[in-house]
This record gives sequence, structure tokens and C-alpha cells, in this order.
Amino acid sequence: MKKRSFKRFAGGMLINLFFIGCCFLALLPILYALSVSLDAKGSLLSSNFSFIPKEFTLGHYRKVFTSEPVLLWFSNTLLLTATTMIVAMSAAVPAAYVLSRKRFAGRKAVLRILLLLYSFPSILSMFAIYKLMSTLGLINTHIGLIIIYAGTMSVFAVLNMKGYFSAIPVEIEEAGRIDGCSDFNIVTKIVLPLARPTLIVTGVMIANFVWNEYIFSINFLTGSDRMTLASGLYSLQATETSGSWPVFAAASLVVSFPVLIFFFLSQKHMISGLTSGGVKG
Amino acid sequence: MMRKASPKQRRGRQTAIAYLVSAPSLILISLIVVFPILYTGYISLTNMNTYHWFDFEIIGLRNYERAVLVFDSGFLSALLMTVLWTGVNMALQLVIAFLIANLLNIRHLPLRNVYKTVLMFPWAMPGYVSILLWKIGMFNSQFGLLTQWMEALSGLTVRWLQNDLSAFLCCTVVNLWLALPFMIMIMDGGLKSIDRSYYESAILDGATPLQQAVSITLPCLKPIIGPSVMITLFTTFKQFDVIYLMTQQVGSQTGAHIHTIITYAYENAFIANNYGYSSAISIMIFVLLIVFAQLTNRRTREVNA
Amino acid sequence: MRKFVCALMAFSLLLLAGCSGNQTNQAGQSGPVTITVWHDKEDAIIAVLEEALKALEPNIHVVFEKKTGMTESLKLVGNDRNTAPDMYLFAHDKIGVYAEMGILTPITELLGDDALAGYVPLTVKGVTYKEHVYQVPLYFETLLFMYNKKYMAHSDIPSTTEELYAYMQRKTKYGHYGFVEQHSTPYYAAGWIHGFGGSLITNTGVPCLDSSQVKATLAYHKKFVDYMPGETEYATVNTLFIEGMAHTTIAGPWFIPTVREAGIDVGIAPMPVVDETGLPLAPYSGIQGLHVLKVKIQQNKDSIIKVLEVLMKPEVSVALAKVSGCAPAVESCYTLEEVISDPLIMAMKQTAEIAIPMPNIPEMDVMWTVTGNLLTNVNMSGQDVDTAASNAQKKALELIEAMK
Repeated sequence: MKKRSFKRFAGGMLINLFFIGCCFLALLPILYALSVSLDAKGSLLSSNFSFIPKEFTLGHYRKVFTSEPVLLWFSNTLLLTATTMIVAMSAAVPAAYVLSRKRFAGRKAVLRILLLLYSFPSILSMFAIYKLMSTLGLINTHIGLIIIYAGTMSVFAVLNMKGYFSAIPVEIEEAGRIDGCSDFNIVTKIVLPLARPTLIVTGVMIANFVWNEYIFSINFLTGSDRMTLASGLYSLQATETSGSWPVFAAASLVVSFPVLIFFFLSQKHMISGLTSGGVKG
Repeated sequence: MMRKASPKQRRGRQTAIAYLVSAPSLILISLIVVFPILYTGYISLTNMNTYHWFDFEIIGLRNYERAVLVFDSGFLSALLMTVLWTGVNMALQLVIAFLIANLLNIRHLPLRNVYKTVLMFPWAMPGYVSILLWKIGMFNSQFGLLTQWMEALSGLTVRWLQNDLSAFLCCTVVNLWLALPFMIMIMDGGLKSIDRSYYESAILDGATPLQQAVSITLPCLKPIIGPSVMITLFTTFKQFDVIYLMTQQVGSQTGAHIHTIITYAYENAFIANNYGYSSAISIMIFVLLIVFAQLTNRRTREVNA
Repeated sequence: MRKFVCALMAFSLLLLAGCSGNQTNQAGQSGPVTITVWHDKEDAIIAVLEEALKALEPNIHVVFEKKTGMTESLKLVGNDRNTAPDMYLFAHDKIGVYAEMGILTPITELLGDDALAGYVPLTVKGVTYKEHVYQVPLYFETLLFMYNKKYMAHSDIPSTTEELYAYMQRKTKYGHYGFVEQHSTPYYAAGWIHGFGGSLITNTGVPCLDSSQVKATLAYHKKFVDYMPGETEYATVNTLFIEGMAHTTIAGPWFIPTVREAGIDVGIAPMPVVDETGLPLAPYSGIQGLHVLKVKIQQNKDSIIKVLEVLMKPEVSVALAKVSGCAPAVESCYTLEEVISDPLIMAMKQTAEIAIPMPNIPEMDVMWTVTGNLLTNVNMSGQDVDTAASNAQKKALELIEAMK
């Protein structure tokens, strides 16, 4: 008995060690950026680097907040992210559900085409998107970007959620139908709560994409009062004449921080969604 | 004429409803994804370039005649590299994510949520920031942490990104770092949805953990993660940022020559300010993707089922 | 289906309404005019310009917008009345591309044919493309040979490249470098090629990457690269100098404030002379100034002229030179005591006079990438000079052909 518990203990230790190693790898560049951004003396590049700065400073962070309209960028980004997520999800959820549940003519073709469309880098058709937006008069507006982001991410969202919807047993829905639920009620009362994890994962993916996207926002928006965090950050390091690595490191952490918080919160919900019910056969 | 709706009619009605319900997303996608591809196709038939920026006209397939030149031996090796890149990355991603997701679901792991959160961190950083941090913070021959550690350990100065093989491996490491969180999250979600009772009865039957993984976990996981795997496959296939920023950015090339078709096309078609020509290349890449999708057809069909 | 289409149409109408509300400075010309200038410059330079333009307030309000990826954006929006800026502030090397695209207005059409009469000749030459003048130059700049006075005594300053090489051999050890530069970056390598009497491309747009001069440069320069770090990007090179690990470097004037801030006593010396040819390293020079976009002329012509006239005053040139360390483009500035007595400005002028203005022809646009690859292939992947050069020449010809 004792031996077995020792074995379990050793195994547990090994697994924990493994995960600590993984976490270290996952954090390595981030810790690096953190240390660089807090170091008063060094630059990002130092030939005798240590994770703990010899002299602490918050100066680089102060510079991020004072030299650029970061709070404005933050609210722009928040607006873009939230709206895109709502638009893309409300368009994609019904489509994903129908594509996974209903058998109808052209269904397979639609799925195949979606996958194909996803594989085409949108960068290659940027000029065409620009033409389209310019005809619609949506260049240099947040609405234009929201449409672009929502369109691009819809493909992903439909494909990503479809798999999970398919995994929800049909019997559950049939049970609901016998109880006299309407189609609409079945979806909102039964399917969506069960699909919560995938709804959250997909939503988070969309948010994350919009939050970190910079190529379209750099090209389609002008003026620093419309910029997003990611594009502002990009312009911080883009040129030789203006690049400052410690400030850049600080700024990249500032940009990432809200996403981390968001992850943390959404993950809790995901776990609770799974344990209280879950998709069990 | 007063018959009940035939099965055919019912099916027709269901099709109509299905399209109606998915209309918002399909319209959005047509507008932002399909239309631009068609428009790119149109531009590819014109002579839109520096000298005809606004007064371009249709010149037929001449851009394609020229674009075929890009599909030379360099392009072929880029194609091979793309397949290799996609294969290696996908295989590593799936195996590692599967392993980690399974370990995360081991019963006695009180710190599970901490680990899970930390492992999601790489995902939160904007991609290009992470890539630059890796390139300069880790692999730089003067200041890179890995270089410094390597020097301390073996006394050798490694120029990580200078030769093809090691640059390929470095790019793979960075790509894994960027892509694993999503895969782990998807697999973790998938594992959670597998009914515990399968395992309980398997254990009663005396199945080893390996047998359980092969005969329960994998088959159950497949349909759920299938679409996400396909998505990741294509993301890897079209990956541009990692390879370009790590080794080829103008002004900071490293000497390695790992070209995927996207970076190759970029260097050969997109710097010449000839939108007609580069559109032709884009369309040819799209055609190539269709071929690629046909090749993975078998898998797609499984996913679509 | 119809319902959804209607809903979507209503939705897009709503969006259109929303965005037309966003664009304010349309039509009604009565109020103060806003002139937008895109740029990619340091804050200090913009502050000087803004200060000078205060005189035009409140009738003309000039907004400077720092734009990342400006050269690409201009291609996209250059003809779009609602999005294009009135002017952009950038080096002269994109003039050919934009002039051929038809998005630039010759400034002589606004200011008269002898607008640039009092300007340093090399700047006027640099901003002329196909006999039209497309830029009002503000200042010009080039790369400088910088040394850390802590390590290099005045007598040690290399006057030839061989002396520089000998210095590198002596001093490159224990993590220190005798000399660092962005060795495989075309903008920096061009100085060496010019020092061998070669060039990247002819005035008529024929690449010369396989010329004997370019090959001689590549073969000779390689031994210097062996004593330099494995990276060619600015972050590595500049940091080594800032940290006092590199004794000498070649860098632009924009680097000097950062260097001084880091507490380094930096000196500026003339470019070393190539032993073989007797010519000094002659880097590219950039002429920075204002370009006017065609699409905005109709609407804002008078205001644009007024803005340009203010910024053409010699005082502005002098003030810009002082903050940027660059050389004023107006000839008469060089009679002023405050300019002549500034060692940095005069060093800049001296080097800039031997420097070669970047070609402004459209063909140059593809040369940056091709030359960059050639340099990396030779310097870092160890390819044979002849093969690499002829491959690069082939590629350059192909790409230039593809432009047309």
C-alpha cells in the first residue's frame, strides 16, 4: 500500500515537473519582455542578460502611456473587438448549427467551399477588399474594419463550431421535440448551453484575432485617433529611426494584458460549463 | 392535387430554411472573402501596374503567361518545403497537444487550472511581437538567451537562423509555440466531452492506458476536433509571418533559404508594383489550394459527414 | 431569403449613413482648411514644422500624421479623395513610382519654375524625375562614419579601408567589435559599391549587379563581414555601438541622439577610402521633403501653396538641421554662422556631397529586395560571388520586366 502511494506521488511529481517545464517554455519570451521592460539600464539586447533587472523602473511603461494615446487606442480596439465578435458570432452560430444538423442540398459543397476560402490568405486579396470598401465609402471607418474582420472570421467560426455541434447527440434534441419544444427553443434552451465551450473558444479566437490584427488596420485607418492597440504597437517598432525596444517590450505587454485577463475569465466559464452538464452521451 | 407535401417538397423546404438561416454569414463571407477573390481574378486579367495605375485595361491572359515563369524550380522546391513544413508542424502539434491535453486531464492534478492558463499565454501576444521576441530575444547571435546559454554550456556560438536546417527547426519551434495553445484548448475541450463511463468499463476489462487512448480517446476525439485540425492544417499551410519575419524580412535577412510558396510568391510577385501580375500569382495559388484541398479530400469528407 | 436581403440592405445603408457622418472636412470650404501631411519622422522634426506653421493659424490648420507603412498605403489611397493626405513628407526615392502612377503633382506647377533656385544642386537633381520637380526639399542626410572616442584615438581613425580592416583584426575579440555595420543591407552596402566605382542600377533603370565593380566589392567586403556579428539588422548593430561593444560604425544622423543619451562620446570622421580605387565609401543620400498629391490640388491648392511657402524659409531649414543633425537644403543657410559652426551639420554636408542620391526611378523599387538577397547569399550563406551575382542580376531583370 505504501509502495503504491509512493509510486503515485513520484508520478505526480514527474507530471508536475513536466508542466512546470512547459509553462516555463510558454512564458520564456514573455518573461524576457517583462524583464527588459522593467530594466532601467539595459535595452532589450544586452550581452549579460538576467531575468531580474538590476535596476527597476516603470519609466518605459510611463512612456507608453504618456507618449501615445494608448487609452484611446484601447477603447477603439475594445469597440472593434466586441462588435466584431457579436456580429460574427450571431451570423455564424445559426449557420454552423444548420450545417451540422440539417441535411440539405449543397450542404457538403458549402462546407468544402468554406474550407477552401479559409485556406486563401486574405492578404493576397487585400487590394480587392480595399476597392470594395472604398466603393462603399467605408475606408477609414471602424465599421469598415468590423465588416472585414467579421467576414474573415465568420469562415473560421462556422467551421470551428460545426464540429462541436455535430458531437452533441441528436437524441437530446429529439427528447426536447417530444416534449413539444419548437426548433428555436431546442437551439436556445438545449443546444447552445451544451455547446458553451465551443461558443467561448470561438468567441475568444475571434476576439483574439481582432485584438492582435494590425495589417488591415494600418492600411485602412489613418490618423492616430482611430488606431488600434496592435497597429499602434506595430508603428512603435517599425522604423529604425524611432524604434525603442524597451518601450516596445513594455507596450507589447500592455497590449497583451487585457487579452490575458479575458482568457482567464473565459476559461473559468468554459470549465464550469463543462462540468455542470457537459456533452455527455 | 390535394396530396400531402411529398418528401421531395419537404426536403426542398428544409433546404430553403437552411439557407435562410445561414444567409447572414454566407452573405458576409461572399462580400469579404468571395468577392475579393473574384475581383483579384478580374485584376489578374488587366495590365494594372506602375505605368497603368488608373487607366488599366484588360489584356487577357498575358499575366498568366508571365506568372508561369515564377513557377520555376525555385517554386517547386518552395512547394516541397511547404508540404514538409505543413507535415512536420501538424504532426508535432497533434502529438504534443494530445499528450499535454491528456496529462491535463489526469485526475490528481490540483494545479491543473494554473497550468492551463499559463499554457494559453503565448496566444495572448500579438503574433508578430512574439516572433520578434523569439528572433531577437532568443536566437540573436549576440544577445539571444539561447545563444548565451549555448555558449555557457558548450562554448560554441551558434548562428541559429543562418543555415537552412536549423532555421527550419527554429521556425518550427516558434510556430509550435504560437499554435499549440489553440490545439491544446481544442483537444482539452474534446476530451471533456468523452463519456467517463467508456473508460470505467474499459478499466474493468483490464485495458492499459495506451489501449484506452487508442480505442476510446482517439476515435471519440476525431469527429470533434476534426474541423479544428483541418483549420490548423490550412493555417500552417498558409503561414507567412513566422518564416518571413524570422529569416527574410528585408533589412534583416539571416542567410537561410526556407521558402514556402507564399513567401516565394511574395518575393517574386509583390515587390514589382504590378497588381495585374501579382493578382495572377494569387489566383494561381488559389488554384493550387483547390488542388491541395482535393488531395485532402478523403479527410474532409470524414469531417463533413 | 428576401427578408434577409432587405435587412442586409437596410443594414448597409445604415452603415453608409454612419460613415458619411464621419467625414467632416468635405465641401463647405468657407471655414478653416485642414491640410493633412503624412510622415514617418521623429517627433522633434515635426515639432519644428508645427511651430513654423503656427503663423498660418487659424485659417489653415496643418495636421501631421505619423503613418506606418506609408509607402504602401499611398499606393492604395493615393487617388482617393477622402483618404489621401494633401502631402507626404518622405525621402525622394519613391518619386518615380508615384509619378508614374500619376498620384503626384510637380511642385513647379504650384510654385513656379524657379521654385528651387536657391537650393543645393544635388537636392534639386535628386527630386527631379523625367524633368519634373516633385518635392520641396527640407533637408538631406546620409550615413556617417562614427567612432567611440573612448576606444579610438584621433590618430587611430582609419583613412583607408585597409586601415579599418587592420583595426578590426586587432580589436575584434572578447565580445568587442572593431567595426560594425548593417553589412548585408543594400542601403549600407551601396556605400562600398560606390567606393569601387560601381552602382546598383543605371540612371536608365538597368541593374548592374553582375558588373565587375559590384563583384569586386562583394569579394572584398566579405572579409570585413567575417569580423562582424551574424545579424545585419539595425537592432543588433546599433545596440552594440550603444553598449560600447563596437568601436566604430556607419549609421544615419538619427542615431546620434540615442548614442549621446547612452553616454557615449561619439566622434564623426570622413568615410575611409578604398585602397584599390582611391575613392571614399560613398553611401546613398536621402533628400527629405514634401510631396504634393494630385487628388487634393483642386480642393486645397491655395492652402497647400501657403504651407509650402512657409516651410521653404531658410529659418525652417536651419531649425530642422539643428534637431535632426541633417544638412539644410537651402543653399543660403551655409552662410549662417550657426550652421557653419555646427560640426555635425558640416560633417553631414561634407559626406553628403560625395554621397550619391538614391535613384528615384521606379525600377529601384525592386532592387532593394534583390540586392538584399544577393548580399545575404554572399555574406551569410557563403555562396560564390560570381554565381550569386549573376543569379541576382537575372532576378532583377525578371522583376523589372514584370513591372511593365
